[in-house]
Amino acid sequence: MSIDEYNGSAIVAMTGKDCVAIATDTRFGVQRTTITTDFERVHKMGPTLYVAMSGLVTDAYTVAARLKYRLNLYELRENRPVNPKVFVSMVSNLLYERRFGPYFSTPVVAGLDPTSGKPFIAGFDCIGDPTIGTDFVTDGTSGEQLMGMCEAFWRPDLNKDELFEAISQSLLNAQDRDSYAGWGAQVYIIEKDKVTKKILKARKD
Amino acid sequence: MSRRYDSRTTMFSPEGRLYQVEYAMEAIGNAGTCLGILAKDGILLACEKRITNKLLDEIFETEKLYRLSPNMVCSVAGITSDANTLVNELRLIAQRYQLNYQESMPCEQLVASMCDVKQAYTQFGGKRPFGVSLLYAGWDHHFGLQLYQSDPSGNYSGWKATCIGANNAQAISSLDSDYKSDMSLQEAIPLAIKVMYKIMDQNKLTAEKLEIATVTRTDEGTTEMTIIPRETVAELITKREQEIAQETQK
Repeated sequence: MSIDEYNGSAIVAMTGKDCVAIATDTRFGVQRTTITTDFERVHKMGPTLYVAMSGLVTDAYTVAARLKYRLNLYELRENRPVNPKVFVSMVSNLLYERRFGPYFSTPVVAGLDPTSGKPFIAGFDCIGDPTIGTDFVTDGTSGEQLMGMCEAFWRPDLNKDELFEAISQSLLNAQDRDSYAGWGAQVYIIEKDKVTKKILKARKD
Repeated sequence: MSRRYDSRTTMFSPEGRLYQVEYAMEAIGNAGTCLGILAKDGILLACEKRITNKLLDEIFETEKLYRLSPNMVCSVAGITSDANTLVNELRLIAQRYQLNYQESMPCEQLVASMCDVKQAYTQFGGKRPFGVSLLYAGWDHHFGLQLYQSDPSGNYSGWKATCIGANNAQAISSLDSDYKSDMSLQEAIPLAIKVMYKIMDQNKLTAEKLEIATVTRTDEGTTEMTIIPRETVAELITKREQEIAQETQK
């Protein structure tokens, strides 16, 4: 059993037309035991910038907290909300600092550029290699299942309702093929002036 | 005289004074005034800008007002470079607390932490104290809206209305007579203009010389600092001038 499978998770982010979506499962388990079924994996980093963390939950919490620390100081000094590209560099730097004793958690970033409103998604490995995605980014124990599902459902220029359908179906069906993820799902649809959070009913196993 | 006791920051004089600290406060007494008023629905900070050369490029939003954390704001009076150092340190202190406790740092604790740092410069190290006084305005769930003042000695206290910088004594006596405990922000803003008008020496008070911000709680549960636009400040000053003209006519 690998450390990445200790807690389990399913995370996906997708781009649409002037919107992005980020979705996760809500199971928190310790190996085969499920502890809670309403676990929040998505963290808000800015009005249109969200991060979801996969992998070991304690590291997920720590990385999210450390990231918020750096982000707050950045925004206070620069007096402006952070640009997603810069945020990706911040994440990458934080993770690489632990190159030889890494955090066993990988973030997925989804957001809109604060000035242009352009959709932005990115994924990383546990030592900070950033991959800026053009269509979708997946992570977690159901990462590979999600890749396949997203490939089938994603099309360019989805509007927010089509995007919601695509990401929800990808997530629900992928997490059903993974015993470590599931028990519920949450989807955040991020648009320029509002963010909608939807909670999906999933198979409770 | 007692000159031999004032070059060492860490020595008392025979009269029991710390000269370096007092000299730091002298430096602040020549700096731009900062006024703070605690109203029941918000806190008002009004600052006099000393640097108003028209060749200056206005890159920064504010000259004397700084955000310290999502729930605290401060204004400074004194040596600007010293102030920048303190503001950086305050921001770090607040974030370290947030990282450790996953909760915003309560206002008094932030002020007290900073004052402990300032006090260290008056007791050991051989370095001079910071030539800055600060007014802190913020909100926390223990005591709601709060206004604090700290000075180079490292002393701090909570206030309902106070003033630092040039002519602060005159401003405080003015506030003493006109401040009412359950003032609203709408009443506090003209009061601030009235006091600033009175103390601004021979120099005429104009909107370019004034920076006014209000710190309020929103319905969503966040603390916002809103800088009052220059046109509104200009209108308020004109209104005050008219009031004065009417009073002198009577």
